[in-house]
Amino acid sequence: MSDLKTQIIAQLNLQDTKPEDIGDDQSLFVEGLGLDSIDALELIVLLQQQYKIKLSNAEDGPKVFKTVRTMAEYITAHQAQNA
Amino acid sequence: MYIRATGNISPQKTFGHQPLVDAVAYTGNRLACIEPDYKDFIDPKQIRRMSRIIRMGVAAAMECLQEAGVKVPDAIITGTAYGCLEDTNSFLSKMVEFNEELLTPTSFIQSTHNTIGAQIGLMLQCNNYNNAFVHRGFSFESALLDGIMLLKENDAANVLVGAIDEITNTSHTILNRLGLYKQGPVSNLDIYKTKTKGTIAGEGAAFFLVANEPSATDYAKLDGLHTFYKPEGIDEIEKQIASFLEKHLVSIADIDLIITGKNGDAGEDKIYEQLGQTVFNAKEVINYKHLCGEYPTAAAFAMWLAAVAIKSGELPAALNYTGSADKKINRILIYNHYQGIHHSLSLLSAC
Repeated sequence: MSDLKTQIIAQLNLQDTKPEDIGDDQSLFVEGLGLDSIDALELIVLLQQQYKIKLSNAEDGPKVFKTVRTMAEYITAHQAQNA
Repeated sequence: MYIRATGNISPQKTFGHQPLVDAVAYTGNRLACIEPDYKDFIDPKQIRRMSRIIRMGVAAAMECLQEAGVKVPDAIITGTAYGCLEDTNSFLSKMVEFNEELLTPTSFIQSTHNTIGAQIGLMLQCNNYNNAFVHRGFSFESALLDGIMLLKENDAANVLVGAIDEITNTSHTILNRLGLYKQGPVSNLDIYKTKTKGTIAGEGAAFFLVANEPSATDYAKLDGLHTFYKPEGIDEIEKQIASFLEKHLVSIADIDLIITGKNGDAGEDKIYEQLGQTVFNAKEVINYKHLCGEYPTAAAFAMWLAAVAIKSGELPAALNYTGSADKKINRILIYNHYQGIHHSLSLLSAC
């Protein structure tokens, strides 16, 4: 999950944020890390660029991008399917 | 129309309203802005999405509004010729790199020419008139003209007008290849002596809060602004200058100082030198592009310089001005042209 946090920081240009500053179960949006809808699009691109995973159902977005852990679980599940 | 406040980020130490004591010297054909610590002006959460030009523009605008004591202006008008080049370059590069797929939205959103005005509006929660002018060498003048019209028609009592242009590695390489800039080692402080082809690349973000009512702390009064396109020759330029001054009931003798846009390019400077023999003969004339470099909205730097000179009554020490030093500067004429195509005249006077 540390790698994923590093990728999120780089993709969203979260200046002055270190991977350890982001909790595994911390909400990424609104009251948590404070991300917004443009960041959500950036995270979709991150999944495609880094993990070749295309978010097929937009309604899954809120669940997938809830926390770093939910993102990691989604990536792991899809990598297992593709293997 | 009164210039109430300014904010200027340039290759000189102009930000923070400090006196411009020493000119910063550069070697090479590119001048880069001296940037402040943006965290004092922009929320860190917002900074992360802003490229350099957006930060420069927003910070200069914020400094201007702070000085004016205005939280929300009646209008925000920006002028830029190149727009947000860094974001445009990033967006186009990714299109190629990822075969027109997987494009990140941020660079695209930020690549439009009205991004800076929009960001200022968003930060201020300002839903008032917001416009951007992309008129190459007239971009700043068009923005200012729009502001003048809003004030004259009483559609606004105060207007934030600014000009922003950046030079990036890519744009510098391309423009250098096109022969715009001098080759070999050159100091910005010596560009007028070189008598060779080409100028030096510059950039900057200058904002002005202009108002239709005077205040006790105004910099200067903007008496007039005029633009003309592709004049046929020096005779037409002279006629344009004479007609501009006549329209504003001023003679050349009433002008204390002329600021010209000489940029060190032997070809482009010919116009200024010819005027020095005729209309501007025996007048105090200074240049400013050794301080900020050449770019399509450089006239905004000249306006900042004129406003500061009129407010203080003297030119900043960095200009090493040795003319009529004992005479207070009350009225300044700015004449600038960009590549011999876009010509502008501005007349400023003490309040």
